[in-house]
Amino acid sequence: MQALLIAVVLLWSAQAKLRRPARPVAAYRALGAAETVVSVSLLWPSRIPALASSLLCAGFLLYLLYAHRRTPQASCGCLGAQSVPISMRSILRAGLLLTVSLSAVFWPVPVTAFGWAFGVVAVVAGLAAVVTLSPELDRHWLLPWRRTWARWTHPLSAPQAFDVPLDSTVQQLHHSPAFRQLASDLASDVREHWDADEWRILLYTIRSQGRTGTAVFAVPRLRYAPDAVRATVVDLV
Amino acid sequence: MDDTMNRRSLLTSAVLGSAATLVGATALGSLAPEAAFAGGTGAPPLPTGSKQDVEAGMRDPNFAEGRITGIRDTMLLVAGSDATLWRIRVTGGTSIWKLRPTTFDSAAVGDGLYARGVLLPDGTLAADSIWLNIVNLVVHVAALSRDTIHFDHRGNRIVGHVHHGTTAASYNGTPAVQDLSMVTVGRHAQVLGAWLPDTNEIDIATVYTTAG
Repeated sequence: MQALLIAVVLLWSAQAKLRRPARPVAAYRALGAAETVVSVSLLWPSRIPALASSLLCAGFLLYLLYAHRRTPQASCGCLGAQSVPISMRSILRAGLLLTVSLSAVFWPVPVTAFGWAFGVVAVVAGLAAVVTLSPELDRHWLLPWRRTWARWTHPLSAPQAFDVPLDSTVQQLHHSPAFRQLASDLASDVREHWDADEWRILLYTIRSQGRTGTAVFAVPRLRYAPDAVRATVVDLV
Repeated sequence: MDDTMNRRSLLTSAVLGSAATLVGATALGSLAPEAAFAGGTGAPPLPTGSKQDVEAGMRDPNFAEGRITGIRDTMLLVAGSDATLWRIRVTGGTSIWKLRPTTFDSAAVGDGLYARGVLLPDGTLAADSIWLNIVNLVVHVAALSRDTIHFDHRGNRIVGHVHHGTTAASYNGTPAVQDLSMVTVGRHAQVLGAWLPDTNEIDIATVYTTAG
């Protein structure tokens, strides 16, 4: 049972390495070939392939621990083309595979030991655990699930959110002739703002010829009309 | 409070008092700042001699960044990431941003800071603009929950808090709106926000993304 689980995982890992055009490194392809050989040999009723897979999994685990420590942003390139930094999930997956491989060496359990149905369920459960611990595969099941869940629950909906954000007002201001005329002398970001009926008033600090004052802009709050933006400059900070 | 209201009423009247909407004709006369300053009143002139041209590869002397280590009256003491110690003076004309335009009271020891202003001869930076804890991140949306967006930033999880009334979203480059319901899991996004110091959390100001 354990051997079948490891064989499937190694075969998946091998095809990811051998079919990946972006990683033509010889050692990477050699690893994929070794995984293929071990995965096929695991179908043979012997403990030697299980021992080989244990060594392979131990190597993976040590490599991930080393890489996680030295270059945590690097992708392990384990189970897919998706570039994902090495995380604790990847390390747990390698640990799980090593444990299962060792159990196949010392306590091998045939798939049919408790009946076919149980064997299949156990292998599928094991594969599900591997998939769950594989960040490379998240985009195939986790992201779609989260997207669907968000569609059902609408966690960010805010029925009252009709007010115009300041960001939008500033964007309109930047498109206005009034702003363009004063922009080169503006010294600050938005200093203060408030709403006055259909207008939003924004204050900036303005500096010219060594003197400091305030540029006051009135921007239409509920309509897009950059040409209607009004401005004045006051000698007051 | 009354002073603020009176000041705002005065400035609102100043900018809206005139029927003119064309540039060049406002309530107080010409839009040109030279005209507004012609009376010679108001803030004293800044030492223009302190303005320096920045050569390529050299540090801009009118820009500071770091974390606030102390606050004395209107002075921020800041330790830069390159070990530079800054003294940043906040004036009435300084804009302060911390998730939204705010006041000097919002600054706290431990806040990260970017500041731009004028370097004075005494070594202090008279700040024109200060941005507290501002972050600008290119991420992808990993998950959504109630008033929270979880981002993935180079493999690291960032928790973004939504503040209704402040947080906005800009979809496909259109003007920002407060409706965040079109933010979609799996999409790339650029997020402007305020970092909560020493955490992996931010308050979201604006999220720029594509509509789902």
